[in-house]
Amino acid sequence: MLNNISRYWWCQIIGWSINIAVSIFFVTTFGEPDNHFFLSLLLTCLLGVLITHIMRLNIHGLKVLNKPIKKQLIYLVGLTIIFSIFFGVITEAIDYLIGYNPDKLQKYTKMQRLFFSSFNSMWLLLVWNMLYYIYHYVERNRTQELDTLRLEAMVKSLELKTIKSHINPHFIFNALNSIRALVDENPQRARTAITELSNILRSSLQAEKMETVPLRQELDIVQDYLALEHMRFEERLTIEMSIDEDTLNQPIPPMMLQTLVENAIKHGISKNINGGTIKIISDFKEDHHELTVQNSGTLNGYIVHSKDGFGIKSTQERLNLLYQGKANFQIRDITGGMVESKIIMPVSNIL
Amino acid sequence: MHKAIIIDDERLARNELKKLLSDFPDIEVVGEAANAAEGIEKIESLSPDLIFLDIQMPGKTGFDMLMELERAPHVIFTTAYDEFALKAFEVNALDYLMKPVEPKRLADAINKLQQAEEKELAAAMVGINRGMLGENDQVFVKDGERCWFVKLGEVRLFESVGNYAKVYFGSNKPLILKSLNALEDKLDERIFFRANRKHIINMRMIEKVEPYFNGGLLLDLKAGEKIEVSRRQAVKFKEMMSL
Repeated sequence: MLNNISRYWWCQIIGWSINIAVSIFFVTTFGEPDNHFFLSLLLTCLLGVLITHIMRLNIHGLKVLNKPIKKQLIYLVGLTIIFSIFFGVITEAIDYLIGYNPDKLQKYTKMQRLFFSSFNSMWLLLVWNMLYYIYHYVERNRTQELDTLRLEAMVKSLELKTIKSHINPHFIFNALNSIRALVDENPQRARTAITELSNILRSSLQAEKMETVPLRQELDIVQDYLALEHMRFEERLTIEMSIDEDTLNQPIPPMMLQTLVENAIKHGISKNINGGTIKIISDFKEDHHELTVQNSGTLNGYIVHSKDGFGIKSTQERLNLLYQGKANFQIRDITGGMVESKIIMPVSNIL
Repeated sequence: MHKAIIIDDERLARNELKKLLSDFPDIEVVGEAANAAEGIEKIESLSPDLIFLDIQMPGKTGFDMLMELERAPHVIFTTAYDEFALKAFEVNALDYLMKPVEPKRLADAINKLQQAEEKELAAAMVGINRGMLGENDQVFVKDGERCWFVKLGEVRLFESVGNYAKVYFGSNKPLILKSLNALEDKLDERIFFRANRKHIINMRMIEKVEPYFNGGLLLDLKAGEKIEVSRRQAVKFKEMMSL
C-alpha cells in the first residue's frame, strides 16, 4: 500500500507536516495559541497541498521543465506570485469562516490582512517551487549522464564489431574481377579462388561471435587471403611464412592478423611498382607468444597522418580489452627496408 | 575505329577488359600499361583516342598521371571500390566503370564517347590541327578532392601564379602545374592571346575593348574580369583584329 504512494506525494506529506510542526513549535514556545489556531493551521496546510498540486498541474501543462533555464526562472516567479495571491485570499476566507481571529492582527484592515496573508504564502510557495525545480533539474542531469554512458558503451561495442568483421570492399571487388578473368584463362584456379574468397567472407561473418580463435584457424584465412592477393599481384608479391608449430593452438583475436596482413599489402605491396615481400612469423619468446608481420616499405609516419591510424589504435584497444594490458602491439621500421608490426600476447595453456 | 589503351596494374584486370572490349568492333586496344609512367609513354607514342584508366596504381595514381599530360584523351575510369574516387566522379560526372565491369555499362560508356566525338568532329572541321592545343582539346585539372576535364574553349583566362597557372572556367579557378610561357607555346594563338606578363585570355570570351593608359587596352571578359593589354601586345592585338 505504502509502495503505491509516489515520491511526489511523499514529499508533499512530509513537507507540509514539517510546516505544521514548525508552526506549532514557534507558537507554543513564544506564547499561547489563539482560539482555532490548530484548525486554521490544518486547513491552511490542506489548502497548501491542493494549491501546490494545481500549480504542479500548471507546470506540467505549460511544459515549463522543458524550457530553457532563464524561462524556467521567469515561470517560477510568475506562478509563485499568482498562486500565493489565491492562497492568501482563500486562507483569509477560511479563517473568517471558522472564526480564527488572532489578537495581534485585529488592528489591521481587511486589505492589509489579505496582503500579509498572500506575502506569507509566497514564501511557502517559493520554497516549494525551488525544491520542485531543483529536484527535476538534478534528476534530468542524472538521466542525461546515464544516457551518455549507455550510448558510449554501445558505440564501443559496435566499433569492435565493425573492426572485427571489416574486410576491405576494394579487395573483394578486385578479387571478383580477377576471378572473372581466370574463368577463361585458368578455370581450375578460378574454382579454387572462389573457395578461398568464400572462406574469407564466411570467417569475417563468424568473427563477430567469438572472442578468440586458434592461430591455426586464423592462418587458414590469411593463407586464402594471400593466395587471392597473389593471383592479383602475381610476381609482384612474395610470401614467406615462419610458423612455430607449437604456437598453432594458441588463441588469438579473430581477424586481427588478417587486418595486419591487409595493411601490409596495402602499404607495402600495392603502392610499389615492383611489389615486395610479406613475411609472417609466429613464435614463443620468453614467456610470450609473438605474432609478427613484416612487409617491404617504410612507415613515413603514415600512422599519424592517415585514416589507417584508426586500424592501429583499434588493434591496441582490442588487445587491451581482451588481455587487460598484458598484451602489446607495436609497429616500426626495421632494417632492410621493411616495416614490422608485432603483437605480443601472454601464452595460454589451453590445449 | 578508335584506338584505345588500357592502363591498370593488374594483368588479369587488363585481360578481362580486353576480352569485354572484343565485343566492340569499333574499339581497337593498341596498347597496355601497368603503371602511370608506362601509361604516359604509351599515350605519347600511340596517341590513342581513348584510355581506360585504373585509379589506384603503384607509384602514381590515375589522377596524377592525367595531370601530367598536356592534352587529355577521352578517359573512362575503372575502379574496384574507392570512396574518394567515387566522390570525385559524382561531383563532376566523369565516366567511370566499376570492376568487375558490367557489359551494359561498358556499352553505354562507349556510346557516350561516340556521341561526344561526332560533335567534336563537326567543330574540328573549322580549324586545322597543327599540333597546337585548340578549343576542342581537353585538359585534366584537379583541385583538392574535385577534378574536371576542361575543354580549352571553355577557359576564359590563364593567370600566372609563380610556377603555376590559374585556370578560369565557369565559376572555378583551379591551379595547374604549368608556367604561362609553356602554355603560350602550346596554345593556339588564334584563340589564346598573351595580353600581358601575367595573363593569357580566350579571344572568344572578350565582351568589350577599351583604350587604356599609354596606348594599352583594357579588355572586359564575359564573366567580369578586366584584363590590361600592354602597349606592345596592344599593337599585335589590333593587327589581329583588323584582319
